Amino acid sequence: MDKTLPEKIRENFPNADVSSVEEERLAVTVPKEELIDILSFVKNLGFDHLVMVSCVDWIDEGQFELVYIVTSYVSYNGESSGKGRQHIIVKIRIDRSKATFRTIIPVYQNAEPYEREIHELYGVDFQGHPRLTPLLLEREYPVPPFRKDFDSRNYVKEFFDSIPEIEEEK
Amino acid sequence: MDRGQMAKWFKDPVKMGHKYSLGVVYFATGCGIIEIPPTITTRWDAERFGVVPAATPRHANLFLITGYVSVKTLRAIIRTYEQMPEPKYLIGFGSCPINGGMYWDSYNTINSLDKYVPVDGWIAGCMPRPEAIFIAVTHLWTMIDKDMADGYKRYKKYYRQYRRNQERVLQHLEWPPLYPIGEGE
Repeated sequence: MDKTLPEKIRENFPNADVSSVEEERLAVTVPKEELIDILSFVKNLGFDHLVMVSCVDWIDEGQFELVYIVTSYVSYNGESSGKGRQHIIVKIRIDRSKATFRTIIPVYQNAEPYEREIHELYGVDFQGHPRLTPLLLEREYPVPPFRKDFDSRNYVKEFFDSIPEIEEEK
Repeated sequence: MDRGQMAKWFKDPVKMGHKYSLGVVYFATGCGIIEIPPTITTRWDAERFGVVPAATPRHANLFLITGYVSVKTLRAIIRTYEQMPEPKYLIGFGSCPINGGMYWDSYNTINSLDKYVPVDGWIAGCMPRPEAIFIAVTHLWTMIDKDMADGYKRYKKYYRQYRRNQERVLQHLEWPPLYPIGEGE
């Protein structure tokens, strides 16, 4: 009998905290130094599709949580029907005040737009990324707008509401 | 043809032609566009009112903004509006272009469309039914009759103010002014 996926991950990464969120979804929390290793490891197991990269702002703890979701089009037990398709959710925490991390483009090439988006909306700097240019936003904001300390209402009041109406002669 | 309108046709045939052949650009931002396919197809059949979808903005004279306007969308709206031939009419569809709607406190949604482009009429509601579009079109006919649908004239007259607001939101516009800036208010 082959080892199950959580056992394989626990065996190779003793620091990883593996828990099953629900059926077919596996959450793995690792220290940030091990991220590239674990992503390469699961990619070699057949998880060759990066679904998305996301970011959570834990402002009280002073940390950003980066979430990498990987899956494979062929299910882990070899069925091609898609039944039993496993998702792995890899989470790391980085420091919020010094928000830099390294890019994972060498492992998963399609991480490029996701990292650009996170750079723009959360202000996380991905070192080694070839082009961290604006992707979605047209303007520059005082604080990256998806951070929890961005006061959206105040921004609207100060900026959009301050634009004058067109004054027309009657 | 309605015989009662014969006199109007002889008096100003050009205006009547504009009234009954509105080529529309549906600007598909946000959720409002979901009301458009039943409107232009057989269920409600907008062609009864002479409202026909136009292939490009250069063939159209009615511009329907169907949904919220983000800053990036505003750039496209201004470019589209400036390409349309005169006379051109712009209608905001739904509550979001009027005052932001449910996105009124968003970091990236402009709240009032009429600060940046001239709007001839609003269709309030979230979402308005297709019938509301026809009510708006018949109102627009009345306005054209009375020369009240003058958004494109106001745009030319107050272009300096419109351009100033556009530049304030978009920071850099990569196209030159449509009208000379020195002229007008």
